[in-house]
Parts: sequence; C-alpha cells; structure tokens
Amino acid sequence: DSTCNFEERVLANVTTRIMTCYLPIDRYNILVEFAVKHMDFQRAELESVLDLYGIKLHSPDCQILPLPSPTTERTRPFLMLSFPCELKGPRFHLEEEEATNSNEQESIASILSRCILVRSVIELWGIGTTIEDCVDCSKQWKESCLGKEIFGKHSDSSKSWKLTIHTLGSTFTRQEQNDMRLNFKFFDFKGPVKMKEPTSEYIMIREVELSSLGSAVYPRQDCSKKTIPENEARPPLAVYFGRILGQGRATKGRGDVERYSLKKRNYLGPTSMDAELSFIMSNLGQVEKGKYVMDPFVGTGSILLSCAIRGAYCIGTDIDIRVLRGRNEHENIRSNFAQFGLPRPELVRSDNAMYNRHYRRSAVPLYDSIVTDPPYGIRAGARRSGSRSENPKPVVEEWRHNHIAQTKPYAVEDVMADLLDMAARTLVMGGRLVYVIPSFSAEFSVENDLPQHTCLEFIHSCYQPFSPELGRRIVTMKKMKAYEETRQNEYLAVVWKNGAESAEKCANIRDKLLEAAKKKPRYEEKLAIRKEKRKKTKDAKKRAKLEHNSDSNIDKNQ
Amino acid sequence: MRLLTHNTLRNNSQAAKGEGFPLKITATEIRVEEAPVLAEDEQQLSFVKGILGMLDWSALVVAASEMGLDKALPPILTEDLTKDEDFLRALFHVLMNVHLVNGVLTCPVTGREFPVMDGIPNMILEEEECETIRI
Repeated sequence: DSTCNFEERVLANVTTRIMTCYLPIDRYNILVEFAVKHMDFQRAELESVLDLYGIKLHSPDCQILPLPSPTTERTRPFLMLSFPCELKGPRFHLEEEEATNSNEQESIASILSRCILVRSVIELWGIGTTIEDCVDCSKQWKESCLGKEIFGKHSDSSKSWKLTIHTLGSTFTRQEQNDMRLNFKFFDFKGPVKMKEPTSEYIMIREVELSSLGSAVYPRQDCSKKTIPENEARPPLAVYFGRILGQGRATKGRGDVERYSLKKRNYLGPTSMDAELSFIMSNLGQVEKGKYVMDPFVGTGSILLSCAIRGAYCIGTDIDIRVLRGRNEHENIRSNFAQFGLPRPELVRSDNAMYNRHYRRSAVPLYDSIVTDPPYGIRAGARRSGSRSENPKPVVEEWRHNHIAQTKPYAVEDVMADLLDMAARTLVMGGRLVYVIPSFSAEFSVENDLPQHTCLEFIHSCYQPFSPELGRRIVTMKKMKAYEETRQNEYLAVVWKNGAESAEKCANIRDKLLEAAKKKPRYEEKLAIRKEKRKKTKDAKKRAKLEHNSDSNIDKNQ
Repeated sequence: MRLLTHNTLRNNSQAAKGEGFPLKITATEIRVEEAPVLAEDEQQLSFVKGILGMLDWSALVVAASEMGLDKALPPILTEDLTKDEDFLRALFHVLMNVHLVNGVLTCPVTGREFPVMDGIPNMILEEEECETIRI
C-alpha cells in the first residue's frame, strides 16, 4: 500500500527526530566513520584494537554516545566516542602533538587507523539532527572552555584549511554545498584556504538512512515520477561537524588492503583468505609488533601473512606437505613472505588432532595469538593421521623416509574441539584465538551452538553472510584460565553444549549445499548445460595441444 | 627449522611414552640468515623478552652446539643475563636466524627419526604409531 503517503512518511520522521542532541562539551569527543561493509565486524575490530592499547570501550574512559536520531534500527556506519580530557595511558595520548613527540605513545587517530573498517576519525565540534542544530551546537562548543582551547590551536593565520562537505547517499549541487559551508562561517579561521593538503581539514557530514549495501533508502522520485529535491527526499538523520584527525578519509577503508591484495601474490590456493578479512582477523587477535602468532591450518599462509605485516613472528603447521612446500621454489608460502620483505615464517608438518603430543608435554604457553581458518570440508577436506583400517601394517624400515602416511577424514566437531584444546594449552594468559566457522542454518545460537572451553572466554562472533542460509562466523576467544593437564577429558567433554546437534550445524556443509542446490528449480537442466560446457572446453584444449605438437613436429623435421 | 621451534618439538608416538624430548639434531645443511631490513631492533627485543620464559634452556644449549654454535650460549640463564640487551640480541640471532635446512631429528628414547627437508620438519606419525583411542 505504498501510495502517495510519502509526505506523511517524511513528516513522521521529522517529528520523531525532534530530540535534543547531547554532546558533552567538557569531554573530548570523536566520531568514527566506518566503511559500509562487514557491518558485523566493525565494533568487534574497534574494541579489539582499543583494548590492545589499554582503552576499554563502554568504560567511563571511553563512553559511547548515542547518535542523533537514535530511533532507527539499522546499524549505522558511525560511532561517537567520548573521553575525559586528561586521559592518557602508557601507550597512547589524546593530544596529537604529545603522542608524536613520544616514542611509546600513539594518538587515538593513529590507533584507530589500524582498523581496516574505519574510514575516518573526526574530532567532534558539533552535532545535530539538522544543519541548524549542528550549527547551534558548534557555536556552544566554540564558547566552551575546551572548545576555546582547541579552536585556538587551529585558527591562527599560519594554518591553512579547507571545509569538506560529505553528503552520504545524496548529491547536492556545488551551490548547495557552498550554502552549507556558509553556515559555519562564524568560525572565522584566520589562515588561508588550501584545497590540496591543508594543515587542517574540517568536515561536515550529513548522514541519511542507508541500506545495508550503502545506498540511500528513500527514493528520489515520488509516485508521479516527479523528482523530489534532495533535502526533502532524504532528510538528515544527523549532521556532524569536526576536524579530521590523522591521515584523512580513506575511500574504502585503510590503505594496506590494496598493497597486499591477493591479486599480487605469487602463491595462492582455493582457500586463501582475502587480504581484508585477514587483516581484520589479525586485529581481532590483537596481533602486533614482536608477538608470536600461530596458524595450525596454515594452508597457503594468507592469514599468517597479514600477521607478519603487523610485525609478528609467525609459525604455521599443516598436515599436507604439498601445500607447505608450494608449487615450486618460486611459488610457495615463503616466496609470498619474501615478496613483501618479511621474515621467513616457520613451517612444520604436523597433525593437530594430536597437537598436545607433538609438542613438549608441559602445557607451556607459547603463542600470543592463534589466528586460523580451519578446513571444514567445503573446499578443502580436513585430514588427520591414522589408518582407516583397524590393524595397520607397520612400515618397513628402509621405506620409512619416503612413505606418505595414510590419513583419514577428520570430523569438523573434532577439528574444533582439538583446536580449542590446543589454544587453551598454548596461548599465553590473555592471548586470543580467532577462528572461522561456517554455518548453514538459519537457527544458530551463538551461546549454545559455538564450541566452548573452560579456559577460554568468548569475546565476539562476527557473521559474514554469503546467501540467506550459508555464511561464516569469525569467532574470537580469550584465554582466561590456566590449563590443567589432569582435566583434559573434562574440558573435551563440554566443548559442544548441545552435543552432536550443535556440531551438526557446522558439519557436512558441502553435502547440505549440494542438497539445497538440487532442490532449486531447473537444477538438472543447468547441470547438463555446465557439463556440456566443460566438455567443450576440454576438447578445445585437446585440439589446441595436438595442433601445437604437430606444428613443433613440422619445425623439427625441417 | 629454527632453534626456537626445535625447543618445542617432541616424539609423540606411543613407544616414547611422553619422554621423547629433546630431539637430537643431526644437521646435513644449515643456513644462517640475517633478518630482512624490515625487522626492527625493538620488535626483535620485545619478541625475545616475551618468549624467554618458555624456553627449555638446557635443551637449547645442547641443540645450539649440535647446530655448530659451540659455546654460543651460557650453560645457565641468570637473572642478569635476561636484562642484558646485547645478550638478548645474540639470543634472538641464535633462536631465529640459524635454520636447519636438511637434517634429521632423533628421539632420545626410541631412536625414531623425523626428517627435516627444506626447512620443514615432518612430525607426522605412521599409522601404527598413532593412538587408536581418541585421547
């Protein structure tokens, strides 16, 4: 019944937004703008990185302020954080100059720039639900104690500046943008305007309601196909004004991702994790310079690579010697690391099913983080040592070095249970485990269906959907209790809270995908078409090869 | 394979009954690699300080000499040494820059050999050595 009740809808929105905006002017406030993707990961990544520097989100030292117009239910790509002015810690300092002068401390902007999903960090000078409200708020801020101090630092004639207008999901004409700028003329910056690389870049952001794909929700045309002026079509949810901190606004999220993109790597496999998600995982795992990180299912080493880029020393293990050795001496895990000038990663061929027995008995904590993507049988099956038969024959001594031991399938529930057990043993206290687990089920309960361990505390789970039913979760856990050798069986018994039922939701995904595909309409037809295509390409290749061979034979004979 | 890794490996077959540590190194090819330019001193020092607590020192001393680094390390790790930055740098070099490229690791109890090829130790057990009961 979406008849012309458009105007009613706009009116309704306006009335619910007449709420006062709260910006505590005696505290240091910043606005974090996120990239519009991986929505579920944004807060988790931010929390992990802040925690690494000793800043606890939700504490009085780092409060989350409600955004203007808090009635919308969608996740918005903004977060407002508020700090007490005098806040500083051994690893950070709110004042940018203080932080740059010291070797040990970093500024908030530089800390947050580690987050892949953060697009910009802005020192907030004013907020509102409309531009007028934002202007009023900024005027108040300018007259406040803290405001005067900050403004004083940036307003003198030596500081060049510019004011960027950023309108989310809407376009305004240049004239309209200039009109918006004029609202803030009262600031009266004494320095010259400079468009390229000014000393200070100010920004006014006009936020509108966005869909999960990042496009504006309201249409530009009403039911009679008349174009509605921008300001009425997409009323602002919030307007923010402030000074951009740090490097400025990245268009897609932080820089490294392009530099280390999978496209540039020498050695890839079907299960290589994309650079963006690998960096996010390394942030969730709090990986940084000088740490020791392990990946027990290293595969092509894509996750370890991002950890090494952060400055950690890495060790990866895998049961498959072919993947550890790579394709040849120029295409292997080590060449990927060498490509970026990173220290050679340590590689060991071992079986995780019996981890505790491959390594020194005492559960001596070794690793600061374990970051991994276990095989769950969709594109790469999991294997473990052991024969499929009951009484395997012993290997004759002289053949031992070349013998490739038989492996048997490794059930997903055991993969996960062993992973958690290994993490509990070998992580240092407070160390983090970050792993990927698929799910093919609409009803998945994070509290009841994820594997658990007495020594590991659940921190977060971020969901990445692929299709309505298929998706994967990136789960973060933290070691909080020392591992007691004598309690091993007890630990293993409680891994799956709802027993086999929970484990089942993560297992046999390949079969479930196939079954679901078969139920779709025209499955048989499409399968036949694909088969036909494959046959054609195969035949074409064969023919090409024969021609090439006969050509070279002719050349030889001449 | 680095000495740091060797310090954690052991023979896990049933026959060794949990005593298969430390593994004796028979080196055929060793390579000493200087860390690449990107690695910073501070990064290396904080790393060494972090792992110092979990090293089995006597096993490390023996392994270092098996790798041709006789007398590189003192027999006992004293409190003073842990605070000496030059010592820590030297320790980092021993732990992380000396690689066993080809060789064999032998279990002290059963004599079972684990080959190291192209820097990768192969710790996989044969079928009959594996536990049949899940532990």
